[in-house]
Amino acid sequence: MNKQLPILISALMFWPLSVLAETPQQILEQLVRNAGSPASVQRGEQIFRAKPGQGEAESCMSCHTNNPKAAGQHFRSRKLIEPLAVVANAERFTDPAKVEKWFKRNCKDVFARSCTAQEKADFTAYMLSVK
Amino acid sequence: MISTLLSKIASHAGNDRLTRPSRGKLLGGLMVAMGVVATMGMVGLSHASQDAQFPMPEGKTYLEECGGCHTAYAPGLLPARSWIKLMSGLSRHFGDDASLEDKTRDKLTADLVALAADSRAANALMQRINAAIPASATPERISKTGFFNFMHDEVSSSIWRRPRIGTPSNCMACHTKTEAGRYHEREVHIPK
Repeated sequence: MNKQLPILISALMFWPLSVLAETPQQILEQLVRNAGSPASVQRGEQIFRAKPGQGEAESCMSCHTNNPKAAGQHFRSRKLIEPLAVVANAERFTDPAKVEKWFKRNCKDVFARSCTAQEKADFTAYMLSVK
Repeated sequence: MISTLLSKIASHAGNDRLTRPSRGKLLGGLMVAMGVVATMGMVGLSHASQDAQFPMPEGKTYLEECGGCHTAYAPGLLPARSWIKLMSGLSRHFGDDASLEDKTRDKLTADLVALAADSRAANALMQRINAAIPASATPERISKTGFFNFMHDEVSSSIWRRPRIGTPSNCMACHTKTEAGRYHEREVHIPK
Protein backbone atom coordinates (compact mmCIF):
# COMPACT_ATOMS: atom_id res chain seq x y z
CA MET A 1 0.00 0.00 0.00
CA ASN A 2 2.77 2.37 0.97
CA LYS A 3 4.49 1.72 -2.31
CA GLN A 4 1.36 2.16 -4.32
CA LEU A 5 0.17 5.36 -2.68
CA PRO A 6 2.46 7.73 -4.63
CA ILE A 7 1.41 6.05 -7.84
CA LEU A 8 -2.22 6.45 -6.92
CA ILE A 9 -1.71 10.12 -6.06
CA SER A 10 0.10 10.91 -9.27
CA ALA A 11 -2.51 9.01 -11.25
CA LEU A 12 -5.19 11.17 -9.65
CA MET A 13 -3.19 14.33 -10.32
CA PHE A 14 -2.92 13.58 -14.01
CA TRP A 15 -6.35 12.09 -14.42
CA PRO A 16 -8.10 15.31 -15.50
CA LEU A 17 -5.36 16.01 -18.06
CA SER A 18 -5.63 12.59 -19.60
CA VAL A 19 -9.36 13.08 -20.00
CA LEU A 20 -9.15 16.52 -21.64
CA ALA A 21 -6.21 16.05 -23.95
CA GLU A 22 -6.40 13.52 -26.73
CA THR A 23 -3.70 12.15 -28.92
CA PRO A 24 -3.91 12.62 -32.70
CA GLN A 25 -4.28 8.85 -32.97
CA GLN A 26 -7.34 8.90 -30.69
CA ILE A 27 -8.87 11.71 -32.71
CA LEU A 28 -8.24 9.83 -35.95
CA GLU A 29 -9.85 6.69 -34.48
CA GLN A 30 -12.96 8.68 -33.59
CA LEU A 31 -13.13 10.20 -37.08
CA VAL A 32 -12.81 6.73 -38.60
CA ARG A 33 -15.62 5.48 -36.36
CA ASN A 34 -17.74 8.43 -37.54
CA ALA A 35 -16.94 7.58 -41.16
CA GLY A 36 -17.77 3.92 -40.73
CA SER A 37 -14.93 2.74 -42.93
CA PRO A 38 -11.11 2.88 -42.82
CA ALA A 39 -9.24 6.10 -43.59
CA SER A 40 -7.07 6.44 -46.67
CA VAL A 41 -3.86 8.46 -46.49
CA GLN A 42 -3.84 8.69 -50.27
CA ARG A 43 -7.35 10.12 -50.46
CA GLY A 44 -6.40 12.49 -47.65
CA GLU A 45 -3.51 13.85 -49.67
CA GLN A 46 -5.80 14.26 -52.67
CA ILE A 47 -8.10 16.42 -50.56
CA PHE A 48 -5.14 18.50 -49.39
CA ARG A 49 -3.91 19.04 -52.95
CA ALA A 50 -7.28 19.41 -54.66
CA LYS A 51 -8.08 22.69 -56.40
CA PRO A 52 -11.86 22.55 -56.68
CA GLY A 53 -12.15 26.23 -57.51
CA GLN A 54 -15.50 26.53 -55.78
CA GLY A 55 -14.77 28.35 -52.57
CA GLU A 56 -13.08 31.57 -51.55
CA ALA A 57 -9.71 29.85 -51.29
CA GLU A 58 -8.33 27.92 -54.25
CA SER A 59 -7.21 25.00 -52.12
CA CYS A 60 -5.97 23.96 -48.69
CA MET A 61 -2.55 24.92 -49.98
CA SER A 62 -3.64 28.55 -50.38
CA CYS A 63 -3.03 28.94 -46.65
CA HIS A 64 -1.05 25.85 -45.66
CA THR A 65 1.46 25.80 -48.58
CA ASN A 66 2.08 22.61 -50.57
CA ASN A 67 4.11 21.20 -47.65
CA PRO A 68 2.10 20.17 -44.57
CA LYS A 69 5.27 20.42 -42.49
CA ALA A 70 5.74 24.09 -43.35
CA ALA A 71 4.18 27.11 -41.67
CA GLY A 72 1.72 28.92 -43.90
CA GLN A 73 -0.13 32.22 -44.04
CA HIS A 74 -3.84 32.94 -44.31
CA PHE A 75 -4.37 33.75 -47.98
CA ARG A 76 -6.17 36.99 -47.23
CA SER A 77 -5.13 38.24 -43.79
CA ARG A 78 -1.55 36.90 -44.12
CA LYS A 79 -1.64 35.73 -40.52
CA LEU A 80 1.02 33.15 -39.84
CA ILE A 81 -0.34 29.58 -39.57
CA GLU A 82 1.57 26.86 -37.78
CA PRO A 83 2.19 23.60 -39.70
CA LEU A 84 -0.65 21.09 -40.10
CA ALA A 85 1.39 17.91 -39.98
CA VAL A 86 1.60 16.38 -36.54
CA VAL A 87 5.30 15.62 -37.03
CA ALA A 88 5.96 19.36 -37.32
CA ASN A 89 3.40 20.63 -34.81
CA ALA A 90 2.59 18.52 -31.76
CA GLU A 91 -0.51 20.58 -30.95
CA ARG A 92 -2.34 19.58 -34.14
CA PHE A 93 -5.22 17.11 -33.82
CA THR A 94 -5.23 17.10 -30.02
CA ASP A 95 -8.51 18.98 -29.43
CA PRO A 96 -11.62 17.44 -31.04
CA ALA A 97 -13.57 20.71 -30.84
CA LYS A 98 -10.83 22.60 -32.69
CA VAL A 99 -10.58 19.88 -35.31
CA GLU A 100 -14.32 20.14 -36.01
CA LYS A 101 -14.25 23.93 -35.96
CA TRP A 102 -11.55 24.17 -38.60
CA PHE A 103 -13.05 21.45 -40.81
CA LYS A 104 -16.30 23.39 -40.69
CA ARG A 105 -14.73 26.72 -41.64
CA ASN A 106 -12.11 25.54 -44.07
CA CYS A 107 -14.18 22.99 -46.01
CA LYS A 108 -16.58 25.85 -46.68
CA ASP A 109 -13.71 28.09 -47.77
CA VAL A 110 -12.20 25.57 -50.20
CA PHE A 111 -15.07 23.31 -51.30
CA ALA A 112 -18.05 25.61 -50.59
CA ARG A 113 -19.66 22.75 -48.65
CA SER A 114 -19.17 20.66 -45.53
CA CYS A 115 -16.69 17.83 -45.65
CA THR A 116 -18.00 14.31 -45.17
CA ALA A 117 -17.03 12.16 -42.21
CA GLN A 118 -14.95 10.04 -44.61
CA GLU A 119 -13.11 13.10 -45.95
CA LYS A 120 -12.31 14.27 -42.42
CA ALA A 121 -10.93 10.84 -41.51
CA ASP A 122 -8.87 10.65 -44.73
CA PHE A 123 -7.46 14.15 -44.35
CA THR A 124 -6.52 13.55 -40.73
CA ALA A 125 -4.90 10.22 -41.59
CA TYR A 126 -2.74 12.03 -44.14
CA MET A 127 -1.68 14.72 -41.65
CA LEU A 128 -0.70 12.03 -39.16
CA SER A 129 1.18 10.04 -41.78
CA VAL A 130 3.46 12.82 -43.05
CA LYS A 131 7.01 12.06 -41.95
CA MET B 1 14.07 62.04 -40.05
CA ILE B 2 13.46 65.25 -38.15
CA SER B 3 12.53 67.08 -41.32
CA THR B 4 10.06 64.32 -42.20
CA LEU B 5 8.58 64.60 -38.76
CA LEU B 6 8.44 68.37 -38.96
CA SER B 7 6.52 68.29 -42.20
CA LYS B 8 4.22 65.64 -40.78
CA ILE B 9 3.55 67.67 -37.68
CA ALA B 10 3.18 70.90 -39.66
CA SER B 11 0.57 69.24 -41.82
CA HIS B 12 -1.32 68.17 -38.75
CA ALA B 13 -0.52 71.08 -36.49
CA GLY B 14 -4.05 72.34 -36.70
CA ASN B 15 -5.38 69.04 -35.47
CA ASP B 16 -4.40 68.28 -31.93
CA ARG B 17 -6.10 64.92 -32.11
CA LEU B 18 -3.63 63.48 -34.55
CA THR B 19 -0.57 63.51 -32.35
CA ARG B 20 1.46 60.41 -32.00
CA PRO B 21 1.66 58.44 -28.80
CA SER B 22 5.16 57.91 -27.47
CA ARG B 23 7.48 56.78 -30.19
CA GLY B 24 10.90 56.07 -28.73
CA LYS B 25 13.27 56.86 -31.55
CA LEU B 26 11.29 59.87 -32.70
CA LEU B 27 10.98 61.35 -29.26
CA GLY B 28 13.95 63.70 -29.67
CA GLY B 29 12.68 64.89 -33.02
CA LEU B 30 9.23 65.34 -31.62
CA MET B 31 10.50 67.51 -28.79
CA VAL B 32 12.46 69.68 -31.23
CA ALA B 33 9.45 69.86 -33.48
CA MET B 34 7.25 70.82 -30.59
CA GLY B 35 9.56 73.68 -29.78
CA VAL B 36 9.41 74.88 -33.36
CA VAL B 37 5.68 74.52 -33.49
CA ALA B 38 5.33 76.38 -30.21
CA THR B 39 7.46 79.27 -31.38
CA MET B 40 5.39 79.42 -34.54
CA GLY B 41 2.48 80.06 -32.28
CA MET B 42 0.60 76.99 -33.42
CA VAL B 43 -1.15 75.78 -30.36
CA GLY B 44 -2.86 72.56 -29.53
CA LEU B 45 -0.09 70.03 -30.18
CA SER B 46 0.33 67.95 -27.09
CA HIS B 47 2.77 65.11 -26.71
CA ALA B 48 0.94 62.09 -25.42
CA SER B 49 2.86 60.35 -22.67
CA GLN B 50 0.51 57.43 -22.91
CA ASP B 51 1.62 54.19 -24.48
CA ALA B 52 -0.11 52.45 -27.34
CA GLN B 53 -2.04 50.14 -25.05
CA PHE B 54 -5.62 49.02 -25.63
CA PRO B 55 -7.90 47.00 -23.36
CA MET B 56 -8.73 43.56 -24.79
CA PRO B 57 -11.75 41.30 -24.22
CA GLU B 58 -11.30 38.89 -21.34
CA GLY B 59 -10.93 35.18 -21.91
CA LYS B 60 -9.73 33.24 -24.94
CA THR B 61 -12.81 33.42 -27.17
CA TYR B 62 -11.86 36.60 -29.02
CA LEU B 63 -8.29 35.40 -29.60
CA GLU B 64 -9.43 31.95 -30.71
CA GLU B 65 -12.40 32.88 -32.89
CA CYS B 66 -11.49 36.23 -34.47
CA GLY B 67 -7.78 35.84 -33.85
CA GLY B 68 -7.80 32.39 -35.44
CA CYS B 69 -7.78 33.90 -38.92
CA HIS B 70 -6.36 37.39 -38.48
CA THR B 71 -4.88 39.76 -35.92
CA ALA B 72 -7.21 40.01 -32.92
CA TYR B 73 -7.59 43.73 -33.50
CA ALA B 74 -7.89 45.86 -30.38
CA PRO B 75 -11.56 46.87 -30.02
CA GLY B 76 -10.42 50.45 -29.36
CA LEU B 77 -9.29 50.80 -32.98
CA LEU B 78 -12.88 51.30 -34.19
CA PRO B 79 -16.06 52.87 -32.77
CA ALA B 80 -18.93 50.72 -31.53
CA ARG B 81 -21.05 51.29 -34.65
CA SER B 82 -18.27 49.76 -36.78
CA TRP B 83 -18.08 46.61 -34.66
CA ILE B 84 -21.85 46.21 -34.69
CA LYS B 85 -21.87 46.47 -38.47
CA LEU B 86 -18.98 44.03 -38.86
CA MET B 87 -20.40 41.49 -36.42
CA SER B 88 -23.83 41.57 -38.06
CA GLY B 89 -22.33 40.64 -41.43
CA LEU B 90 -19.98 37.79 -40.58
CA SER B 91 -21.34 35.53 -43.30
CA ARG B 92 -19.82 37.97 -45.80
CA HIS B 93 -16.71 39.01 -43.91
CA PHE B 94 -14.26 40.60 -46.37
CA GLY B 95 -15.02 37.81 -48.83
CA ASP B 96 -15.12 34.98 -46.29
CA ASP B 97 -17.88 33.25 -44.41
CA ALA B 98 -16.79 33.84 -40.82
CA SER B 99 -20.11 32.90 -39.25
CA LEU B 100 -20.16 32.10 -35.54
CA GLU B 101 -22.73 30.50 -33.28
CA ASP B 102 -25.25 33.20 -32.33
CA LYS B 103 -24.29 33.03 -28.68
CA THR B 104 -20.58 33.45 -29.40
CA ARG B 105 -21.22 36.27 -31.86
CA ASP B 106 -23.41 38.17 -29.39
CA LYS B 107 -20.88 37.81 -26.58
CA LEU B 108 -18.02 38.99 -28.77
CA THR B 109 -20.07 41.91 -30.10
CA ALA B 110 -20.82 43.01 -26.54
CA ASP B 111 -17.12 42.78 -25.64
CA LEU B 112 -16.09 44.78 -28.72
CA VAL B 113 -18.70 47.47 -28.08
CA ALA B 114 -17.72 47.75 -24.39
CA LEU B 115 -14.09 48.45 -25.33
CA ALA B 116 -14.66 50.41 -28.56
CA ALA B 117 -12.93 53.69 -29.40
CA ASP B 118 -16.04 55.65 -28.39
CA SER B 119 -16.85 53.57 -25.32
CA ARG B 120 -16.70 54.75 -21.74
CA ALA B 121 -13.58 52.58 -21.41
CA ALA B 122 -11.78 54.70 -23.98
CA ASN B 123 -8.36 55.99 -22.95
CA ALA B 124 -6.80 59.12 -24.47
CA LEU B 125 -5.40 57.19 -27.43
CA MET B 126 -8.75 55.61 -28.23
CA GLN B 127 -10.45 58.99 -27.95
CA ARG B 128 -8.02 60.40 -30.53
CA ILE B 129 -8.69 57.47 -32.83
CA ASN B 130 -12.41 58.05 -32.49
CA ALA B 131 -12.08 61.80 -33.01
CA ALA B 132 -10.32 61.20 -36.34
CA ILE B 133 -13.34 59.24 -37.63
CA PRO B 134 -16.19 61.39 -38.97
CA ALA B 135 -19.42 60.88 -37.04
CA SER B 136 -21.15 60.15 -40.34
CA ALA B 137 -18.76 57.31 -41.21
CA THR B 138 -18.84 53.67 -40.12
CA PRO B 139 -15.44 52.35 -41.18
CA GLU B 140 -15.01 48.59 -41.43
CA ARG B 141 -11.32 48.65 -42.25
CA ILE B 142 -9.01 49.94 -39.52
CA SER B 143 -6.40 50.57 -42.21
CA LYS B 144 -8.72 53.16 -43.79
CA THR B 145 -9.05 55.27 -40.65
CA GLY B 146 -7.29 58.60 -40.28
CA PHE B 147 -5.23 57.72 -37.26
CA PHE B 148 -3.94 54.48 -38.78
CA ASN B 149 -2.79 56.32 -41.88
CA PHE B 150 -1.21 59.08 -39.83
CA MET B 151 0.75 56.53 -37.82
CA HIS B 152 1.87 54.51 -40.84
CA ASP B 153 2.50 57.10 -43.53
CA GLU B 154 6.25 56.52 -43.37
CA VAL B 155 5.82 52.84 -44.22
CA SER B 156 6.68 52.44 -47.90
CA SER B 157 4.67 50.25 -50.25
CA SER B 158 7.65 47.94 -50.67
CA ILE B 159 7.52 47.16 -46.94
CA TRP B 160 3.77 46.47 -47.06
CA ARG B 161 4.41 44.06 -49.93
CA ARG B 162 6.96 41.94 -48.07
CA PRO B 163 5.74 38.33 -48.02
CA ARG B 164 5.44 38.12 -44.24
CA ILE B 165 3.41 41.36 -44.17
CA GLY B 166 1.41 41.50 -47.40
CA THR B 167 -1.42 43.75 -46.24
CA PRO B 168 -1.91 46.62 -43.77
CA SER B 169 -4.48 44.47 -41.97
CA ASN B 170 -1.71 42.09 -40.87
CA CYS B 171 -0.89 44.09 -37.71
CA MET B 172 0.76 41.18 -35.93
CA ALA B 173 3.35 40.79 -38.67
CA CYS B 174 5.17 43.80 -37.19
CA HIS B 175 3.40 44.58 -33.91
CA THR B 176 4.49 41.61 -31.88
CA LYS B 177 2.19 42.07 -28.86
CA THR B 178 -1.21 42.64 -30.43
CA GLU B 179 -2.75 39.74 -28.52
CA ALA B 180 -2.11 41.75 -25.36
CA GLY B 181 -3.49 44.91 -26.99
CA ARG B 182 -0.03 46.50 -27.27
CA TYR B 183 1.02 48.42 -30.37
CA HIS B 184 4.07 50.25 -28.98
CA GLU B 185 6.63 51.26 -31.54
CA ARG B 186 9.41 49.79 -29.40
CA GLU B 187 7.76 46.37 -29.79
CA VAL B 188 7.61 46.64 -33.56
CA HIS B 189 9.71 44.17 -35.46
CA ILE B 190 9.45 44.52 -39.23
CA PRO B 191 10.05 41.15 -40.95
CA LYS B 192 12.57 41.05 -43.80
